[in-house]
Amino acid sequence: MCRPKMSQRSFTESAGRVMSKILMKDLASISTRINAEFKQYKAMLMVCTGTGCVAAKGFDVRDALSRAIRERGLQDTFLVVGTGCNGFCAMGPIVVVQPEGIFYQKVSEEDIPEIVAQHLIGGEPVERLMHRDPVSGAINRTMDEIKFFSKQQLIALRNKGLIDPENIDHYIARGGYESIRNVLESVSPDEVIKEILTSAIRGRGGGGFPAGVKWQSAKEAALERKETPYIVCNADEGDPGAFMDRSIIETDPHTVIEGMMIGAYAIGAKEGFVYLRKEYPLALVRLQKAIDDARACGLLGKSIMGSEFEFDIHIHRGAGAFVCGESTALMASMSGQAGEPRAKYVHNVEYGYRDKPTVLNNVETWANIPVIMDKGARWFASIGTGDVTDNPWGGSSGTKVFSLVGDINNTGLVEVPMGVTLRDIIYDIGGGILNGRAFKAVQTGGPSGGCVPAEKLDMPIDFDSLTEAGSMMGSGGMIVMDDRTCMVDIARYFVSFLMDESCGKCTPCREGLFSLYRTLTRICNGEGREGDIEFLEELAKTVNETSLCQLGGTAGNPVLSTIRYFREEYEEHIRNRRCPAGHCKALISYRISEGNCTGCTLCAKQCPVDAIAGEPKKIHVIDQDTCIKCGICYEVCRFDAVEVQ
Amino acid sequence: MADKIKITIDGKEISVQKGSYLLDAVKKTGVTVPTLCHHKDLTPTGTCRLCLCEVEVRGRRKLVTSCNYPVREEIEVYTNSEPVVNHRKILAEMYLGRWPNVPAIKYVAEMCGITESRFTSNLTDENPQACILCGRCVRACREFALEKIIDFAGRGIKRHLTMPFGEVDPHCIGCTACAFVCPTGAIEIVDDLNHPLDPQMIRDHGMKVNAEMAVLDKDQCRMREVGTANIVDVMDAYDLLPVHNYQFGTHPETWRINSKMLKARYFTQGQADGCWKGCSMACAKTIDDFELKTGPYRGQKVCVDGPEYETAAGAANMGCFDADFLAEFNFYCDTYGIDTISAATTIAFVMESFEAGAITTEHTGGLELHFGATNETLELLHQMADGRGFGVDVGQGIRWLKQKWVKEYGADPDFLHDIGMESKGLETSEYVCKESLAQQAGYGMAIKGPQHDEAWLIFMDMVNNQIPTFEDKAEALHYFPLWRTWFGLMGLCKLCWNDVVPADNYATDEPHKIPEHVDNYFKFFEGMTGIELDESKMLDQSARVYNLQRVMCRMLGYGAREDDHMPYRAMGPVTVKEYESRAERYDKQLKEIIGVDPDGKITEERVGILRRYREDQYEKVMDAVYIRRGWTRNGVPKIERLRELGIDLPELVVIVEKDQE
Ligand SMILES: Cc1cc2nc3c(=O)[nH]c(=O)nc-3n(C[C@H](O)[C@H](O)[C@H](O)COP(=O)(O)O)c2cc1C
Ligand code: SF4
Ligand code: SF4
Ligand code: SF4
Ligand code: SF4
Ligand code: SF4
Ligand code: FES
Ligand code: FES
Repeated sequence: MCRPKMSQRSFTESAGRVMSKILMKDLASISTRINAEFKQYKAMLMVCTGTGCVAAKGFDVRDALSRAIRERGLQDTFLVVGTGCNGFCAMGPIVVVQPEGIFYQKVSEEDIPEIVAQHLIGGEPVERLMHRDPVSGAINRTMDEIKFFSKQQLIALRNKGLIDPENIDHYIARGGYESIRNVLESVSPDEVIKEILTSAIRGRGGGGFPAGVKWQSAKEAALERKETPYIVCNADEGDPGAFMDRSIIETDPHTVIEGMMIGAYAIGAKEGFVYLRKEYPLALVRLQKAIDDARACGLLGKSIMGSEFEFDIHIHRGAGAFVCGESTALMASMSGQAGEPRAKYVHNVEYGYRDKPTVLNNVETWANIPVIMDKGARWFASIGTGDVTDNPWGGSSGTKVFSLVGDINNTGLVEVPMGVTLRDIIYDIGGGILNGRAFKAVQTGGPSGGCVPAEKLDMPIDFDSLTEAGSMMGSGGMIVMDDRTCMVDIARYFVSFLMDESCGKCTPCREGLFSLYRTLTRICNGEGREGDIEFLEELAKTVNETSLCQLGGTAGNPVLSTIRYFREEYEEHIRNRRCPAGHCKALISYRISEGNCTGCTLCAKQCPVDAIAGEPKKIHVIDQDTCIKCGICYEVCRFDAVEVQ
Repeated sequence: MADKIKITIDGKEISVQKGSYLLDAVKKTGVTVPTLCHHKDLTPTGTCRLCLCEVEVRGRRKLVTSCNYPVREEIEVYTNSEPVVNHRKILAEMYLGRWPNVPAIKYVAEMCGITESRFTSNLTDENPQACILCGRCVRACREFALEKIIDFAGRGIKRHLTMPFGEVDPHCIGCTACAFVCPTGAIEIVDDLNHPLDPQMIRDHGMKVNAEMAVLDKDQCRMREVGTANIVDVMDAYDLLPVHNYQFGTHPETWRINSKMLKARYFTQGQADGCWKGCSMACAKTIDDFELKTGPYRGQKVCVDGPEYETAAGAANMGCFDADFLAEFNFYCDTYGIDTISAATTIAFVMESFEAGAITTEHTGGLELHFGATNETLELLHQMADGRGFGVDVGQGIRWLKQKWVKEYGADPDFLHDIGMESKGLETSEYVCKESLAQQAGYGMAIKGPQHDEAWLIFMDMVNNQIPTFEDKAEALHYFPLWRTWFGLMGLCKLCWNDVVPADNYATDEPHKIPEHVDNYFKFFEGMTGIELDESKMLDQSARVYNLQRVMCRMLGYGAREDDHMPYRAMGPVTVKEYESRAERYDKQLKEIIGVDPDGKITEERVGILRRYREDQYEKVMDAVYIRRGWTRNGVPKIERLRELGIDLPELVVIVEKDQE
């Protein structure tokens, strides 16, 4: 039990704002005060300033909006708030008018006067900036009407779009730091661990290891060896196309801090580290500010909130390699050694950072912790699949954030309860396949995940079902692929990524991936041989089962899962020298069908190598020897006259 | 951690040390599994994956690499199950495809039943001495040589070693450890600078020491971690640390200057450091950024080279249990060119004399030189270096001070002789030898005075009781001074002889000589010169020099029996206080060894009886040693002995002639 020691409330300057030390008893009144302040405004204008929207000039939109409001003297009526990512980046920059929830997308500086005049002053929302359902074409006025949002359940991302990540007051107003206050006041460290065990939350970074079990082991090791353990947050996020962790930090950095505080309190750590991917400058700025502010408010450092609890967080910038996200490589990299994995026969919970017991959890895992402590482990465990009452391995509780990309209408970041089906995600939230094409497969779990085919669309997604399907949860990447995707080439693409990212320390991963890549390339080039498929299977299994770390340990998945579900596609390549998806250049040719060609000359003008001959209004012909199979003619022809064979 | 665990390997039960690696257990059962990256003296990294075994832990089967899998619970091991065999085959095939002509790989492939490979590619390297990326050299460079010269670069299939072969990195110390452990011969040694006759012989034996340092030191003397400072803790525990001018052997405040304190708060390098870059023991330690509080460099941050054991023990001898003082004393002694041992022993003598009233502030120029007076001690040191005040006298050493104080201040000569720890004019080094007769003689009979580099016999004599008789002691005092003189003559460091010992040394015939290490030195000599050596040849080589030195001492007026005595402080309790501090032990000796009942005798009487006995013992040991050395009863080499050694040169014979019996 942690007994608060009363101390004088002191004031510190931070980032130009007076920050006062927050004591346990004051937190609730501070929150009430801030909320009352917010209520004085007629509306709050939430401008997305996540990385995606910023790339689309989100900062300009925010500044223009503030300027316009000030120019009209409305600064006491409307409050402009720059928020973190809403997860709908393809639609950015996004502006949401709260509390109604009116949603504007692809807003530019030029749209601002209209929004101010027509909506804010005139009370008439601007329809042309609203979202349209990609399938029905209907206008969605509010966020709730947009299927992309309405089907989600938010825990880790509960504050997205609703707070200014750079303002600690906003987090507090939404109940932030209430969980740690409550824990410090009335929950013992062991009770916290029990609560996390009961919640059955499994790590969101890839392995799906129950967090509670990890915490308990680290605590036991620390007690036995009389060492002070460490807490580490894995924010390396190296999966191509994944951005859930970046978003969480950019959107709500304090939830990660609060989660780590609770973990530190539970296991007795005094120091924590965030291993942050090098290429995340905005996340770095926001997290650093959040840490500085928390420190200035007495939420980090000694005697936190007036209690005896002591904890601080430091940011460690990543070394820029995918494998550095692997737990042992991460610890090595943090210690200034080469970021290479080591055997995990002795775990980090016993000998981790600086050889001390260390708990490493993913950003999203940490972000869930305050909510679990707030709403209760049973509530959390009731969400999701399986029975986790006695055994966290019995199912998958809570929600998971996925990054939805590929040939899909609504790309973005979504948080859904464990157990929703792929169909829900792809068709409801994702709005279906781009251009109305057919769904072929979805690659989940990052580069070393697997491809799940259409027949599994109704499979409820959780850690175990994905593994069973030959893929994995990984950190939550989802790449949707339509019928024009060649599965052999997809396997080759992921193997090539992994081959480049392999550290090369152990033989099966180093030599095996190279050989898988060579064989797949041969097949794509139409030089496949009988026995190749069996060789790929045999080799991929050995790579999976004998590699030193889980990079190699899962690197066979793209090969194995595509062979499992799309074996005939491999066979077509090898036996008939055909790429059924019409993708592998060596195996296809472009021809112009005499029936459809109108002789519009467009293809001939666009062909980069002048391979198309023909006179206006006459049928065009492709010279196969010159054609480099770039596919441009196929794309540009408006009469479907170019065919792939 | 004496825990043993029972495990089953291919159905056979075997008991192993908890935490030991599975591969060792597998080997013990007689099973051979293929290995490439493993080397018995290097930290296993489990990268070739060939030593794969299947392990069943609590009902679950998994594949592990046996070389780096620590056995921590009861397990069943299958070294040849179907998955193991199949995976190993593919791994062997990968190797064979890339490096088809490397003998180590061909051997492994054959073990796995592989002759053809499906892994031939544009990267296939036909060189039979190709590098196979096992990483042994990288680890050897770190763990043997404490360097990071050779390392991997490039990710994945582009992985390669960074030090280009045939081109010597200027920082490479040329220790050849990397080449020694390489399984393929990929690393070529391009230059053997001193043109030894058999470099391989030298290397093979040198590498053994490197390996012992890498593997054993952390559990033995921790020379890499804390250097000789580790001895402070040991000496204090055995009542051998000189405290207050050798009166006592232990002190409650030793923790303030012991190796734990030095490591935790002072040593800053965080890694081993050495006299020269190639040393794998690297016992030297450093304190960086130490801010001086006194003297000409006051206020400056300096780098302190040390402290080593003798310097720390010297602080204890002066009663200065303060590591800040220790560092400052160490720095200024080094900077002034003053030997820390002589300075500390002299000052300890001055302090005891001061406390006993033999001298007063009148003589010390006002310095209150009590034990533990750190500021005054530093002031005295500065005076010594500057040639100021009392420092001028103290700088002359104990023998000179005794004479002056007796003559000029009327001090009690007997007391000063008893407590002034010098012999032949040299101050004694920092060990209490009261309970070891052999060490008293080791100090007293050393040619150039009481330092311990001729013989350090305390543990052998007092703790392990390995040399109980006079003859045993004489043998030790014949052998060790000659042995130590010999490697000194060769310019070889002593520490790799006995500051690390082979794991099975205890099982040899003469563990105190550490025969395997003596043999290393012989092989260094033979590898260099081509001359084969054994113990008697070595002793003859050394004895020529040793006897020549003794004759020269005689010529200078020091080399006779009367010069080989030690002050009584080295042999037993001088004062009542000293006796009473260990009354139980001394009383027991009176009763059991001397046969006198101490009851009813006042302490002064007991001190006297013990003294007479011990002085007599010392004379007896001298007799025995002189006989063994072939010297006269007066401690002078016999002409016969010189003849035997082939050094009966007329110039020498002339000197010793008059001493012959
Ligand atoms: C090659 C590789 C890369 C990984 N990268 C990440 C990463 O970027 N972020 C992450 O949180 N976990 C990553 N992991 C998983 C971590 O090793 C570790 O399991 C995780 O951070 C533990 O936290 P969790 O239990 O909360 O998921 C990676 C694992 C492997 C094998
Ligand atoms: S599996 Fe790959 S990434 Fe992992 S240690 Fe081996 S070579 Fe490196
Ligand atoms: S673009 Fe199509 S229709 Fe036009 S010339 Fe080319 S093939 Fe014919
Ligand atoms: S595929 Fe490309 S290169 Fe070939 S004809 Fe069409 S546009 Fe020209
Ligand atoms: S010779 Fe010694 S220092 Fe040089 S690379 Fe080899 S192991 Fe390292
Ligand atoms: S040089 Fe030799 S020891 Fe070093 S990695 Fe290559 S094969 Fe192994
Ligand atoms: S950055 Fe604005 S929605 Fe992602
Ligand atoms: S010998 Fe064990 S992995 Fe190489």
